[in-house]
Amino acid sequence: MTRKRKMTAMLLALTLATGSLAACSSGNNNPPANSGGTTNSPSENTGNSDAPDTITALLPPVSPAYQENFKQMEEEFNKLYPNLTLKIEPASWEDMTQKLDTQVNAGSPPDLAFIGSDGISKYAQMDMLMDIQDLVTPEMLADFDEAPLEYMKNGDGLYGFPAYMEVHAIGGNKQYMEEAGIDWKAVQENGWTYDEFREAIQSGVVQENGNTRYGFVFATAGVASKDYLSILVKNAGMPSPFTEDLKYAYTSNNYLDVLKAIREMIDDGSMPRELSSVDAGKRWNMFLTGQTMITGKGLAVFENSANQNNEKIKAGDGSAVADSIEVDYLVLPMPSFGDHDPVSYAVVDGYVAFRGKNEPTDEHKANVVKAAYFLASGNVAATTNSDLFAAHITESGREAAASIESNRNPDNVAAVDRMLEHAAPARPDIPVDLGAQAIKVENETIIPRLQALLADEITPEEMFEDVKKAAIAAFGEDGVVQD
Amino acid sequence: MSRATSRARNRLNRGDSAWAYLFIIVALLVYALFTAYPVLSAFIISFQEYSPRGSTYIGIDNYTSILQSELFYKSIRNTIIYTVLTVPVALILSFAVSIMIMPLQKRLQTTFKAVYYLPAVASGVALAVVWLWIFDPMSAGVLNRFLGFFGLDSQNWLGSSSTAMFSLVLMSWLSSHGTAIIIYVAALLGIDSSYYEAADIDGANFFQKMWHIVIPCLKPTTLFLLVTGVIGSFQVFQNAYLMTGGGPNHATTMVGLLIFDTAFKYFEFGKAAAQSLLLALMIGIIAFLQFKFLGKDVEY
Repeated sequence: MTRKRKMTAMLLALTLATGSLAACSSGNNNPPANSGGTTNSPSENTGNSDAPDTITALLPPVSPAYQENFKQMEEEFNKLYPNLTLKIEPASWEDMTQKLDTQVNAGSPPDLAFIGSDGISKYAQMDMLMDIQDLVTPEMLADFDEAPLEYMKNGDGLYGFPAYMEVHAIGGNKQYMEEAGIDWKAVQENGWTYDEFREAIQSGVVQENGNTRYGFVFATAGVASKDYLSILVKNAGMPSPFTEDLKYAYTSNNYLDVLKAIREMIDDGSMPRELSSVDAGKRWNMFLTGQTMITGKGLAVFENSANQNNEKIKAGDGSAVADSIEVDYLVLPMPSFGDHDPVSYAVVDGYVAFRGKNEPTDEHKANVVKAAYFLASGNVAATTNSDLFAAHITESGREAAASIESNRNPDNVAAVDRMLEHAAPARPDIPVDLGAQAIKVENETIIPRLQALLADEITPEEMFEDVKKAAIAAFGEDGVVQD
Repeated sequence: MSRATSRARNRLNRGDSAWAYLFIIVALLVYALFTAYPVLSAFIISFQEYSPRGSTYIGIDNYTSILQSELFYKSIRNTIIYTVLTVPVALILSFAVSIMIMPLQKRLQTTFKAVYYLPAVASGVALAVVWLWIFDPMSAGVLNRFLGFFGLDSQNWLGSSSTAMFSLVLMSWLSSHGTAIIIYVAALLGIDSSYYEAADIDGANFFQKMWHIVIPCLKPTTLFLLVTGVIGSFQVFQNAYLMTGGGPNHATTMVGLLIFDTAFKYFEFGKAAAQSLLLALMIGIIAFLQFKFLGKDVEY
């Protein structure tokens, strides 16, 4: 080998080696000087309230137009706080949890992330959340409705601001319900019992042209089965997995009644026997194509989706759902079991504050709170919640939304408001370790057994016994409800 | 050889060795950073309760907890069932296809190889969407319509414990043979034609040639595909994750998926690391046994 060739080869090898090392170097992740830092510890900000700082936020497409407004949101925030930069990292709903979990477990989460309030206990247990209780101003607190704000608490800590409070309801096809002789207005106003609901969905089953139109289809494939069970048990005297004296509630006989009901509705043909494989997309398709009278779960925004599809059908637009029909979407409450009061499954999502391996400075914490409040209130909240057909939960949001036009069905608006009055209260008193154990029982026992119950592979009694066994193993004999 | 010449040669050898090390340094670094370090790190984490804000040493608690877990054994059983049902069939199908396309013209042969290799290039997620459509549980589903032609009832393919595993196995049978086919075809081309000529002279028929020439000559290839197939099958994750999520009732929870869930659903990275090391140990033992019992008379 000539000296020249050796030198060239050596240079190439060194370049590659240096490149490999540089790519893996943590130095690459360091924030640029004076950026304020994209991590949680911008040391240069300490002690100076006007020092520049950057707040990072990981945000999914909360509403259809949400991510299109990111640039505008960043600019407005910077106009409001000239020394601060809001840096938004977009994520799809599919990637959101995995992206956030990866960043959290690596010890470098974003300052803010948009997540469900039910995720708070998970991250609180890891000690990765930032308690903003002492950083929020009384004005900020006064802007929020109390009920949704409670959902952002865990123990004594407040970990973020809520964006909206929605209810998991069910949705009905107005025409089919009227054909089945169901007084949907009375149901919206007064609710219904399980027996009334069962009678209604039985009367909604229609055979036409060799196809079956079902009375009720709920998405239960995979982890969606958790939603189905949760939404039902809340109306059977178990608004939370834990009673007020912190005993695990799903060992109560009320739970068995719900499991029996789940099987009954499939066995009598009101729901498809293939229910265990029906996912969210499939059941919405079944609803729009007239294969079911009622579907779940239903969110207020589904009215918007149905309206948009109706418009496409009217306009002969080929992007309308194939074989779909025009549907008047009705928001309906879930039925209540026995003598139990109806309790709505409230969904509170919002902007949760995180901290990394290193404790952020007080200055940075205060800036994160400013960014969280900016995103959860005023114009941003008004635009997002109107887009979502969700109720406004801040005074500033309501004021800003006053000028935004809405084509929501007023009956549906009233029905959602009534359900919000019955929303299950937040339970910040449940200790994180108990919450984590309950999630484990849910993932390892309840969801798999529920899948088997839906597929008619085990009986409600067998599932109930398995759940009881797992609950007693997790919480002890004295830690569960025995009735 | 004079002492001076010997010293000069040693110096030259040492110089060449240094160059050799320099040339492999990139590969070595990549291996050290992305394979050796993660394995070492996983080994350390497996004795810890992991937390981003500081892990704690808990001895062998993760291992004892795994070995007491019913779900771990169920996932191993599922993985073994999946492996037993997929790997041999994959070998037989790949072998059969290779034999069938061998006599074809080179251009046609290449076309078939490309067609069979296509699923390996396509995105697994895209393929899963197609398969979800095929396994639609309603009577309008593709596979259920097929059953309907024979007067059979619709099946809840992915939603029932009795058919979910079979559905994943069916997916495996009908895809992903491209690599094995290419390797088998390459091996078939390597068999000396004089063997076939001698067999023709002796009046051997097709099956006799298969049995006495092709199968023995392809033994090293078959062993390689068997070992790598079993390793791949033990690490199977994607299809179960995308198609069933491990359900229903853990009927399709394989070890790979269990490790993923332990790490990313429950954030128990220590336990997940321990599970992955136990899986590596199992794969190592199986590969050793395969080489020991099947590789005796294999010549490379």
